[in-house]
Amino acid sequence: MSVLAQSFGIAALGGYVPLLRLDRKAAARELAWSGLPMPRTGTRAVADWDEDALTMAVEAARLLCRESAPDALRFASTSAYFTDRAQSGMALDALAMPRTVRTSDAANSRRAATSAMLDALLGRQDEIVTAGEKRSTQPGSAAQLAFGDGAVAVRTGPDAPARLVGHASLSFDLIDRYASRDHPFSYAYEERFVRDVAVAEVLVPVVRAACDAAGIAPGQLAHAAVHEPVGGCWRALAKALSSKAPNHCEAVSEMAGDLGTAHALYGLGLALDAAKVGDFVLLVGFGSGADAMVFEVTGPVPGASAMAAELREGQVLASYSRFLSLTGSLELDWGMRAEFEQKAQATVLERVGRDMVGFVGGRDSAGNVQFPKSAFPVNPELSGVERMEDVRLADLEATIVSVTADRLNFSPDPPFDFGLVQFDNGARVLMEMVNRPADGFRVGDRVRMRLRTKAQNRRLGFRTYFWKAAPLVRPVLGDA
Amino acid sequence: MATGIRDKVAIVGMGCTRFGERWDVGADGLMVEAFLEALADAEIERARIEAAWVGNALDDINVGNSALPAAHALRLDKVPVTRVENMCATGTEALRGAAYAVASGAVDVALAIGVEKLKDTGYGGLPLRTKGVQNDLWMPYGSAPGTFAQLAGAYAARHGIAPGDLKRAMAHVSWKSHQNGALSPKAHLRGAVDMDKILNAPLIADPLGLFDCCGVSDGAAAAIVTTPEIARALGKADPVMIKAIQLSASNGWEMQFGAWDGASVPNTRAAAARAYAEAGIRDPRTELDMTEVHDCFSITELVIMEDLGLSDEGRAPADILDGRYDRGGAIPCQLDGGLKCFGHPVGASGLRMAYEVYTQLQGRAGERQRDNVDFGLTHNLGGSPFNSVAAVAILGRLN
Repeated sequence: MSVLAQSFGIAALGGYVPLLRLDRKAAARELAWSGLPMPRTGTRAVADWDEDALTMAVEAARLLCRESAPDALRFASTSAYFTDRAQSGMALDALAMPRTVRTSDAANSRRAATSAMLDALLGRQDEIVTAGEKRSTQPGSAAQLAFGDGAVAVRTGPDAPARLVGHASLSFDLIDRYASRDHPFSYAYEERFVRDVAVAEVLVPVVRAACDAAGIAPGQLAHAAVHEPVGGCWRALAKALSSKAPNHCEAVSEMAGDLGTAHALYGLGLALDAAKVGDFVLLVGFGSGADAMVFEVTGPVPGASAMAAELREGQVLASYSRFLSLTGSLELDWGMRAEFEQKAQATVLERVGRDMVGFVGGRDSAGNVQFPKSAFPVNPELSGVERMEDVRLADLEATIVSVTADRLNFSPDPPFDFGLVQFDNGARVLMEMVNRPADGFRVGDRVRMRLRTKAQNRRLGFRTYFWKAAPLVRPVLGDA
Repeated sequence: MATGIRDKVAIVGMGCTRFGERWDVGADGLMVEAFLEALADAEIERARIEAAWVGNALDDINVGNSALPAAHALRLDKVPVTRVENMCATGTEALRGAAYAVASGAVDVALAIGVEKLKDTGYGGLPLRTKGVQNDLWMPYGSAPGTFAQLAGAYAARHGIAPGDLKRAMAHVSWKSHQNGALSPKAHLRGAVDMDKILNAPLIADPLGLFDCCGVSDGAAAAIVTTPEIARALGKADPVMIKAIQLSASNGWEMQFGAWDGASVPNTRAAAARAYAEAGIRDPRTELDMTEVHDCFSITELVIMEDLGLSDEGRAPADILDGRYDRGGAIPCQLDGGLKCFGHPVGASGLRMAYEVYTQLQGRAGERQRDNVDFGLTHNLGGSPFNSVAAVAILGRLN
C-alpha cells in the first residue's frame, strides 16, 4: 500500500461491446421448465461467431493509438483463443504499431487487466492495457446469462485527466468461481459464502487501504467501478464504508453482462463519464484478491462518453437457439460445406500476415491505393514493377459497390454477406460484411472496417484474422 | 501479322453424354461415352488422333490431375495429352488447344474432350475450394451464386431498374431455358416450369432464387478437329468450321481498381470483340443465328446479352421480356436448355455448347432445329463477374 505517482493516470479509454444483445428474460423463459435459477433482467452482449477476445480488444484499443505509439501494449483475458501465441503481438500488428513497442499478455484472473494497468501507472509508463473477453459457458448455468462479451482499453500517461491518487492490492485465493483446463466452463460456489467472505476479507480492507493511501475517507468517493464477484457485494461494501457512490459496473452487468477482465475498466469508463472535476473515483478489480485504485478527476477523459454510448447501442438477439449456436453451446449440423477448412501456413503469414491483420495496402507512384500490394500495380496507367508505400485501410470508410446475402455458402451465422467495397483512395476490396442491418446491405451504403476472425480451422485449432465491412452507425438498443 | 484461325480448323465429329445426375457412371465412363459418339460421328479411326486436350475444372475433387485420367479412360496410346483448366471456360479452352494444334500444322487430327463428375463430390452445388494459401487470408468464400448475384444489384443500380422488374426479366431467362430444355433429350432438367414457381422460389443469394441457378451435373463432351482438306477427304462436303475462339482473363482490375461499376463483364466484351473480328462478323445482331452462353445464373445471361452487343446498354431486360432470345425470337439463346437445364458439368460445358451449335449447323437438332443457322456463338464465363475468364467461340460452315 504505497504512496503514488501523483501526476500519472488515465489519459484515455475505449470500449467495445458487440452488437447483439440477448434479452435475459426471454432466455430465462426458454429454460423456465428446468426450474434453474438465472438472471432475468437486462441484456447480455453476445459476440458474433467471428469475434473473440483479441478482435474485441483491438476494437477497444483502436481509438487510443492513432496519434502515437505507446511504450507498451498489454493484453489481458481469461478467454484468449491462443494459449501459446501472444495475443498482444497480434494486436500490435492489427493496430499497425511498430514492433519495438513492448508487449505482454496477462491471464488467469479476472483482475489481470487492472493489475496490468496498475503496473503501468506505478511504472510511470505510457502504455495501452486492453482486455477482451468471450468466455465459454454452459446452457442452464447462471453464468451463461450473467456473463457478457466485450472489451476495454485504457491508455496511461502523464498529466492525465484522471490521476491515480491512491491504490492498494490484496492477494487472496478466494475461490468464488474458477475455470481450468479440465473444466473450461466457470464453476461457481455458493453466492452467500462468496459475498460474505469477499466483502469482509477482501473488499473492505483493500478499499480502505486505497482510500487511506489517497488521503481521503471512503465517504468522499463520488463514483465507483467495483467488479462484484456476486450481486450485492457493493451494497454491503458501501454500507461498511459509509459510501453513497454509485457502482457503474452494475450498469455494465445489466446491459452487457460481466465482462471478466474487461469489466472493472468498462465500469471505470462509465464512472469517469459521470464524474465532475474534483471527484474521487474508485476502481476495484476482483479475482483471487483485488486491486483498488482511487482516481482524482481533473477534466473530461477522452473516450469515456463514447463507452457509455457503446453500451446503449445494440440489436436484440431474439432467437435463443441462435444465441446457443453463437456461444458454441449448440452444435448444428451445417452440412458438407461446413467441412471445408483451410490450413493457414506460417510461411505465408510471415510474408504477408502483417498486411492482412493490419489491413495495409499499397500506394503506387500515381497515387492509387490497392489491396493487396503487388509488384505490378493494378492501376492501368502504370506498366512497370514498383515498390508501393504502405497505406492502412482499417481506419477508413468505404462504399459498397456490389453485395449479396449468400445463403448457399457456409457461415456459422447465415446469411453470408459479401461484396465489393470501394475506398475513397482508390482501393477496392472484396470483403465480408458484418452487423447486417435489419433490411440488409445495399449498393451505395457507407461502411467502416472491423477486425474479425477470417477463417477457423477447428481441427488444427488455428484462426486467421482479417477485416470486414460494417455499417457506419449502430442502432441504439430499443430502437433496433 | 496474325490472321487468326478462321476456317483453318474443321470439326468433323462431336459427342456429348446425357448430362445430369449420372449415378450410373464415373468420369472415365462419361469420357468414353462422349468419345465413342464423336468417333462414330467423325467416321475416323481412333489411331488417327495425334494429340488430345482434356478439360476438367475441379481436378482435385473428382476426375484427377494431369493427362492421365483421360489417357487411361480412352486408352490413348502414347498420344500427347494435355490437361487444361480455366474454371468454367475449361471446355472451350480444350477446344482452343486442339484447334490451335491443327491450325499450326503441328498435327492433322486432334481431340478435345471436357468432363466433370460433380455428383461424386457430395455437394448440391459446386464444392468449396481453397483460393490459394495467400488469398485465403483475406478473400471471402462466396458461393458461385453469391458472386454472380452481385451483378444484379450493380446492374439495377447502374440502369435505375426496379428490383422487381429485373427479377421478372431474370425469371423469363430461366422460364425460356426450361421450355428449351424440355426438347433436349440429353438435358439434365427436362421439365417446363411456370413463372410463378420461378419467381417464388427460395432465395439462394439475394436476389437469385433456386430457379435463377443452373443445374450442377455430371457429363462429358468431345470434338474431333482436323484440317478442312482432311474433313473433305472424310466425306464432310460442307464441314462445320471454327470461325473464331478468343479468351480474355482478368488481371485484377475489376476487383482491385475503382473504375468498374460491376454491371457488366469486361472480359466478355473483350473476348467477343476479338472473336467477331477473327470471324469477320461486323454486326452480330444480324449475323448470329443463335447463341449458347454461360447462363450459370439468370442475371449472368441477361448481362451477357449486352456484353456480346446483342442488346443495347440497359435494354437487355426489355429484350428478354419481348422474347428476342426465346426459341422463336430473333437470336435464340440456349436452344438446348443452356447451363440452366442442359446442365453444367464445368469442364464439359464449353464443348456442350459447341455440340449444340454444331448440331444446329448441320440441321440435326430435331424438335429444337432452328431454320437457316449459318453462325452460332458459344460463350463461357469462368470465375466471377469481378475476376473472370471469358471465352467466346464462333462456329459456321465452310461454304
